[in-house]
Amino acid sequence: MKIPNSISDLWKAPAILLSQYKRSDLPVLGYTCNNIPEELIIAAGLQPFRISNVGANQSALTPSFTCPFASATLENMLKLEEFFSGFAIAHTCDPMWRLYDILKKKISKPLFLLRPPHNTDNELSLSFLRLEFNRFKEFLDKNFEARIDDDSLSKSIKLCNETRDLLKGIYLLNEGVNCKISGFDRFQLVLAGMWMRKAELNSLLKALVVNNEKACDGVRVHVNGTVIYDLNLIKAIGESGGFVASDDLCTGSRYFWNNVEDSQDHFSALAHRYLKKPLCPAQDPLHRRLGFIDDMVEKFQIQGVVTFAEKFCDPIFFDSVHIRNNLAKKGIPSLFVDYENPTQEIGRIRTRLEAFIESVGGGS
Amino acid sequence: MTQRRSHILSTTKKITELIMEYFSKAWNAKAEDRPIAWVTVFTPVELLYALDIYPIAPEHFGAMCSARGLALDYLEEAEKEGYSQDLCSYSRCGLGYALSGMNGLMPPPDFLVTFRNSCDVYVKWWQALHMHLKTPLFIGEAPYVLASEDLDNYVLDYVVKQLEQIIEMAKERFGLEFDMEKLVKIVELSDKASKLWSETLELRKYKPCPLGGRDSASDIFPLVVMQGTKEAVEFYEELLAEVKERVRKKEGVIENERFRLLFDGIWLWHAFDLIKYFEDRGAVFVYEPYSDAWAYRMDASKPLESIGRKILHNGLNVDIDLRIDKFLESIKDFQIDGAVLFSNRSCKSWSIPQLVTADILNKDFNVPSIMFEADMADPRQYAEAQIKNRFDAFLEVLSES
Ligand code: SF4
Ligand code: SF4
Repeated sequence: MKIPNSISDLWKAPAILLSQYKRSDLPVLGYTCNNIPEELIIAAGLQPFRISNVGANQSALTPSFTCPFASATLENMLKLEEFFSGFAIAHTCDPMWRLYDILKKKISKPLFLLRPPHNTDNELSLSFLRLEFNRFKEFLDKNFEARIDDDSLSKSIKLCNETRDLLKGIYLLNEGVNCKISGFDRFQLVLAGMWMRKAELNSLLKALVVNNEKACDGVRVHVNGTVIYDLNLIKAIGESGGFVASDDLCTGSRYFWNNVEDSQDHFSALAHRYLKKPLCPAQDPLHRRLGFIDDMVEKFQIQGVVTFAEKFCDPIFFDSVHIRNNLAKKGIPSLFVDYENPTQEIGRIRTRLEAFIESVGGGS
Repeated sequence: MTQRRSHILSTTKKITELIMEYFSKAWNAKAEDRPIAWVTVFTPVELLYALDIYPIAPEHFGAMCSARGLALDYLEEAEKEGYSQDLCSYSRCGLGYALSGMNGLMPPPDFLVTFRNSCDVYVKWWQALHMHLKTPLFIGEAPYVLASEDLDNYVLDYVVKQLEQIIEMAKERFGLEFDMEKLVKIVELSDKASKLWSETLELRKYKPCPLGGRDSASDIFPLVVMQGTKEAVEFYEELLAEVKERVRKKEGVIENERFRLLFDGIWLWHAFDLIKYFEDRGAVFVYEPYSDAWAYRMDASKPLESIGRKILHNGLNVDIDLRIDKFLESIKDFQIDGAVLFSNRSCKSWSIPQLVTADILNKDFNVPSIMFEADMADPRQYAEAQIKNRFDAFLEVLSES
């Protein structure tokens, strides 16, 4: 299988697209997190662009013990401000929440903070999120002279659902003991979904012929964590004798797992989709997250689980204990790997992955 | 350096007794089969008292353990289970206590209640307690207050409805009946204590300042877990009377007050003598956003709304501009000469925006500030000599300006 040229290597420098958007006068809204509904941004006539930590160092505006991902994301927002018409942040973990505080004092572009409820199991959270989406709509309408209506929203929901269906279809090709598409290739496609124009991506995905001929010889690994933009981490698993068959990541299956249902009331349907999507590690109830990982392990016949964590990431540092305990009960081995700068630490990370994969493979 | 005589108020000295009584009452409640709730601070303590559920705050327990040099065993117990040293030390201390059998001051919980307001760690920490102890869990959401409208609109509504859910849960799980009249009385008491505290804090505007950091750090305790009790009200009545008397007699925390300082952060419990280090050098803490956050007035005619507002409107959960305004106002009102900002490795929610705040204080308002890094409850993250050197340099700067 060949990854289309416009997608291949995009993960190394997604900002290339920003200059293209600027040249074609397409206004771009930068957002940080899976909890921000791209559907509303598209319906407002803007291009959603997920801001990553790629190409940025830690910001000098945050203390040394801040999650390096959040800090570098801040740095990118400041560095690339001119390419954006505005920004939307979601309050998930403490660093993301506080980025809003800092940006409020440091940028001049319109800035929005979405407050997705942490308790996703509560009926009240559903109506609250619906009202938050309404507030987001008002923000978009007011700042970008947009007029989001039923028609534009219905179209954008269809478009985003299509992207998600296509990505999920590709993801599911590895079900069972299949290994049709490598983790590295698959993650490139998902990331492109957060940066490219959806219509263009959808046609590329539709034309994609996934026909991996290679025999499946890697140890089947599930990867979880928050976000992974540095795909060298995924590559390292491949190079260590593993095959990344499934994941629970914001830059992976959590992005496309469920769709917005067809409904008269688009805002309720959106709230439902975003509250019930696979759980972000900052949210509750935890058993939903653990259950999702369990399902993946079963569906994709996983032999070992790797939890990747940015240093100082509270949500994952807490969850890793329960993920490990839960998997241990089922006899699934797991490995916890944390890092501050994957590129610099890749040697150490690879050594740990190799040892883990070897121990898992030896036991099977 | 000439050491100065510095005072702790006589009322403050009574706090230990009050704390011990409070914990022994908790064990009594346990013995009587009344449910014990472990809560995070800024959780509806008044409502729990009204439901006859006894609230205990592991954050307060963590602070206490750290102050008494007892935290390390619990921290290590949590770390042994896999909780990283980079996680909030209160959470590690509480988890370590839970994992090591819960035979100390805090009785085991029957109910875990939190509202995400000060930090997101609350959610993760309470989840973790629930995973280990299997105790019923309520995770409430108090969305970030972006503007004062949120204290009246759908945001408040969301919180109030969650309070009603707690009432429902108390009925279903523990067969407890809710009595509105009882709640009204409790909210009245809670408001009274807040009013007394607020009046006491106001008196720190006097020169010399009658109540210092060592007092405010301890005296906050009844407002954390005993809101709505008459013991709390009595404590604050006594405190206010003592402070008023000191103002009348012009008695300060220290003789010859040279500098009046603002402290931003949680105190370092394991290095509490740092406050005295300043006092010995003529500097007194006259304002802390943390102490101020507890002076929240309530309206007993609308008890649930009032509780909802209080949960929403705590120091860390209001928009940065509202927080900075308050900072600046206090700098004027309390005649502050400088600010000490504690960059607390535990508390990312508090520490992350501090560099920006410090910048505004320095550049726009010409208030010198110093920031230092350590951990509030974990003594292993504390470079004493280095920190004290920096304080010396800071005091030097203040005496030159
Ligand atoms: S990696 Fe963790 S701490 Fe960092 S932004 Fe994501 S959830 Fe927050
Ligand atoms: S110290 Fe900070 S992170 Fe820890 S529980 Fe308190 S508010 Fe949360």
